[in-house]
Amino acid sequence: MVDLSSIKADEVLDCKGLSCPMPMLKIKKALQKLDSGKILEVWGTDPGTKNEVPKMCEKEGYEFLGFIDEPGYTRYFIKKK
Amino acid sequence: MSVGETLKEWYRVIFKDNYSPVVGGILLALLAILLEMWYRPWGIVGGLRNWGEWVLYGVGFLEEAPPHPLWFSSSVLNIGLVLGAFISACLAQEFGIRVPPKLEIIKAIVAGILMGVGSALARGCNIGGFYMAIANLSAGGIAMMLGLMVGVFMGVKYLLWEIEHFTSQGGKEISVKKISPILGIIALIALLWGIYHYFNSEKDEGALLGGALLLTAGIGFVMHRTRFCIVNSFREPYLSGEATMARGVALSLFIAMFGVLLIKMAGIKDAMTYVEPTFFLGSLIGGIIFGAAMVVAGGCGSGSLWRVAEGQIKLWIVVLFFAISNAIVRYYMDNVWEVWDKGWLGTQVYLPDVFGYAGTFLILSFVIFLWYVFVDWNEKTEKFVIGF
Repeated sequence: MVDLSSIKADEVLDCKGLSCPMPMLKIKKALQKLDSGKILEVWGTDPGTKNEVPKMCEKEGYEFLGFIDEPGYTRYFIKKK
Repeated sequence: MSVGETLKEWYRVIFKDNYSPVVGGILLALLAILLEMWYRPWGIVGGLRNWGEWVLYGVGFLEEAPPHPLWFSSSVLNIGLVLGAFISACLAQEFGIRVPPKLEIIKAIVAGILMGVGSALARGCNIGGFYMAIANLSAGGIAMMLGLMVGVFMGVKYLLWEIEHFTSQGGKEISVKKISPILGIIALIALLWGIYHYFNSEKDEGALLGGALLLTAGIGFVMHRTRFCIVNSFREPYLSGEATMARGVALSLFIAMFGVLLIKMAGIKDAMTYVEPTFFLGSLIGGIIFGAAMVVAGGCGSGSLWRVAEGQIKLWIVVLFFAISNAIVRYYMDNVWEVWDKGWLGTQVYLPDVFGYAGTFLILSFVIFLWYVFVDWNEKTEKFVIGF
């Protein structure tokens, strides 16, 4: 299991305050633009995102590394294979 | 497993994990059937319009005070939904004040106003004009469904354009995770006190409202646990191809339709209940406008209310403008232009009058089945997916 607190993401996407469908749309767009092997970190506040990100990663073939709950937002880590 | 561990597991399943759209959809349909048997069909816009009318009365646009929100059926239904969803959000520690970026606020205002207009034309939103309309065997429900499909497509096109041309960030959340379970318990006590107060009041409709408050709180709770979203059910097939929510909504709609069919066949409710004079222009055009707007808003009538209860400020703005817009538009349509008397937007069409109860059941089942099969097929083939 990856130690998330020590990950240095290649790109950070701020989705705080956004409600569906905006977070998932922005995440997918950012992942499309990302180079292979790089890691995207997403900051989000929508509870729905917690279910949607792992499902999307499985469907689209991205690697979902996990999430960390911070005060006031959640940090998601996704790796483009 | 010890008793304590089993109880913890039950708490997690009921209050923390999300329900699947199928489970949530079934529960929702059963609650909607119970509500219609107990008192009246579930609806959202009537309550919002009542609140909008109070704002208009407050600024002097309306001369007469509207019915009191605590004693007006539609308003009580909405209060119950918000309370139930709030309890769900707090107990799952999902409540938080989520402030959106500026662009989202502008979208909320525009979308809210348009949702007020669309739901005025259709005399209902996704619940009153579509879900409960079909359940109540009104042809208008089908016309609105078609309108929603067109409108949602337009809304999705807009969103895809928007993310290519605008970036928006700068939102934030004011978190209250630590105290939210306590807030949830307080809200639950307030709900129980409210129900008790209604049942013990001297007013005739006290018991009816008390039961309605309880049932809609159940609806709000289940909707929030499921994150049940009719916008999702129409939008995702175009956006990503995902049909999970659509399947759940279709199943839910089928059960609700069957239940209300039995209610009406048994004469428990008058046949023309929830059959509005909007077939087909009002339902169709209203559906197109409402469908496009709800995609931009990020919530339909019911979905906006449970997101309000979750603390999503964008939807507070949507609901405010939705309520005022619908109140103003309906004021002009009802009293000044007399649209309904003149039949400009359609007529009441009760499907069993045309096809009988058995025929109606077959036709509506077929339409819902077609929708189910379509989204399922589209999920695999992605033929209508314009997003990514």
